[in-house]
Amino acid sequence: MNENVLEVRNLKVRFGKKVALGDIDVQFRKGESVVIAGSNGAGKSTLLRCLAGVIHPDKGQILYAKDVPREKIAFISDGLSLFENMTLKQGLDFHLRTFHIHDPDESFFQQLKFSLNQKIKSLSVGERTLYHLSLLLSQKPAVLLIDEIIHAVDPYLREKFLEAVIEAIDKYGTTMITINHTFSEIQNIPERVLMMEGGRFILDEKSESLKAKIKKVVTDVELPAEIPFVFKKESVVGKEYFVYPFQDDFRRKYPYDFQSLELGEIIKALIGGEYAKKRMS
Amino acid sequence: MIRFSIDSSSSVPVFQQVIQAIKLEILSGRLQNGDQLPPIRELAKILKLNPNTVAKAYYTLEEEGFIESKRGSGNWVNTKNMKLDSFRRGMLEDEFRLFLDRALMLGAGLEDIKNLMERYAANE
Repeated sequence: MNENVLEVRNLKVRFGKKVALGDIDVQFRKGESVVIAGSNGAGKSTLLRCLAGVIHPDKGQILYAKDVPREKIAFISDGLSLFENMTLKQGLDFHLRTFHIHDPDESFFQQLKFSLNQKIKSLSVGERTLYHLSLLLSQKPAVLLIDEIIHAVDPYLREKFLEAVIEAIDKYGTTMITINHTFSEIQNIPERVLMMEGGRFILDEKSESLKAKIKKVVTDVELPAEIPFVFKKESVVGKEYFVYPFQDDFRRKYPYDFQSLELGEIIKALIGGEYAKKRMS
Repeated sequence: MIRFSIDSSSSVPVFQQVIQAIKLEILSGRLQNGDQLPPIRELAKILKLNPNTVAKAYYTLEEEGFIESKRGSGNWVNTKNMKLDSFRRGMLEDEFRLFLDRALMLGAGLEDIKNLMERYAANE
């Protein structure tokens, strides 16, 4: 369980003058599910594309474990790269050839119930996403890199998508690294949250302990200065404080209702906090 | 089969919620000695949980002696050597403490709570 599947050292990427990634160090363990969160332009996609080998970093190393060959690393982003004039069957054969996969797991295709003789262009965006995912799962991936793709998928296919991912995690002990803005369905999957801002990590925490550390207080008065908060929202109705880091004795000392939050709301508050900081500076 | 859902905004960790739910099924008698639990992958799919989370819950239940895992064939309820009554009492006490906390927060006195219980008992 504690074996690293992937290690990143001193990773730096620049686009012209803009620093996309500034000195990133991070490890990922075998079988772990991680979500990378952060505002737009924080460097999430650049990092994921480096891990996938799509872009070469200017500096630093990306080290996969010895038992993870290239064809066990699967990457999917919203710029789905599929040849539209191929049939689904041709697309699969092409994928298997390109990535030198000799013993594919095609069970994910059977679950989809698509006719393999239709052309890829006849699929809807959501169906294509699911088709692309099953191409990747046929690789029996050791590492699955998902760059925010479920926003275009309808609720029914989203569930199918999620079930396929859950099956892969259990079947192959896949390490899943995702970028997500849409959280409602997947929120109980990630075990670890990485927050990025300005090309760096600003937070690396287990989901459960993050949940314990951030609480919401709705009130119409100012919070005492001893209670730290990352973000505050004001409206005519009242004030919402996102308390972080929360300590258990706050409950004893203060008469507020400290509410627990879902992962999606927590990340929204953290991102909001970063935007608030930017406005101040 | 198991009837429960996960509260994602609860401060109780998800794997603890799974443990509690399965214990409740066992203590209430809906799951009995020798019954088979759903496979990890299936329960994870139904509840939309990470299979590692379900596995952790099953492992804890096995450690506590509620279930038995047979390699290759699945997980089974095993309450042969358990004192279910004392577990039931323990769980009741936990639930009661939670209720009392909330009731006292509302400013209820012990007398109010007693009256309420008597009224409900009379209606049953």
